[in-house]
Amino acid sequence: MKNFVDFFHQVGKLKDLPRRGWVLIGAKDPASVSDHSFRMAVMAWILAEKKRKINLEKVIKMALVHDLCELYAGDITPYDYGHLPKNKEDWPDAFDKWPRFSKSKKIKNFLKKQKKEKESLVKITSKMPDGVKKEIMNLWQEYDRGLTKEANFVRQINRLETLLQAFEYGKESQSRPFNSWWIGSEEQIDDPALIKCMLEIAENFYCHEKKK
Amino acid sequence: MDTENQKFYLTKHGLEELAKEYEDLKKIRMAKTKGEAPSIWESEDLNPDYISFKEDIELLEARLLELENVLKNSEIIKKPTGKKAEVIDLGATILVEVDGDKDEFILVDSYEANPILGKISHHSPVGKALIGHRVGDEVVISSPIRSIYKIKKIKYS
Repeated sequence: MKNFVDFFHQVGKLKDLPRRGWVLIGAKDPASVSDHSFRMAVMAWILAEKKRKINLEKVIKMALVHDLCELYAGDITPYDYGHLPKNKEDWPDAFDKWPRFSKSKKIKNFLKKQKKEKESLVKITSKMPDGVKKEIMNLWQEYDRGLTKEANFVRQINRLETLLQAFEYGKESQSRPFNSWWIGSEEQIDDPALIKCMLEIAENFYCHEKKK
Repeated sequence: MDTENQKFYLTKHGLEELAKEYEDLKKIRMAKTKGEAPSIWESEDLNPDYISFKEDIELLEARLLELENVLKNSEIIKKPTGKKAEVIDLGATILVEVDGDKDEFILVDSYEANPILGKISHHSPVGKALIGHRVGDEVVISSPIRSIYKIKKIKYS
């Protein structure tokens, strides 16, 4: 049981790890990695229920563990690969654009991040029983590589939750949300139900606000 | 991405990669059944992701089943000829300029999509909007945040 408690303690540290994107735009009380994973799990559960032939248990577990690796690897954003202005005050403005990379740089960034995250996950789960360790690692690998329909769905939920949070920040601060999350989502989400949800989020938190 | 009884439209490269993965994983399964250390571990072009299959036979079997289904129901995206090759469609590699920055992506079917690596689904809002356009076109996506995709080059391979 001691190893379980150690593991739960490590997972709990994600409550204090703010998501880097929100830190970079200067959000006052940035949501943590735990906040993000929790709402993702709820969204994945509710939105996957309407889908046929999808393993709901796997979807929810995947959403819960997909960012455990950030405990030691950190939350790495695409902006961390050379897309941040030198002056910290200018960081939020970088989020008006979705960062663009060459094909080789995309592959390089992906592999670099993957290596770091895998090492972190190995460390976090090191004292867990083999069965749990394997399940967490397999769920994460499936997610990371987008190997299955569940992984493909959860990757899109990841974008959707982030988009919702970005629009919520925009509404709270009475400012426009940064374009980046919307543009990224339009390239990354292709599930019809999730596209519908994406448009509803925009209607509620952006278009509606603009009409006021 | 409902993968049963579904037709998978894949790029030639995507199909080759999946077929190679399938053959490599079969070798690993065969060696594991015989209790041997697969020679594939010494191969220089070994995909580092295969390491997880070394330990986990259930994951290996699940992936093999998935690949079997995809390979059985797959069709290579046909390379368009003549005037059709000047227009964006499934399988096109597109050089674009978005809000002043250059980017390159390939338009693929949902199964092959991996936006982080520049493989954009033709069912995504951006994918759908780009289809049918030509070099020189400016595709405005404004739902609700406006961005402009300037088409610089289209190629099919």
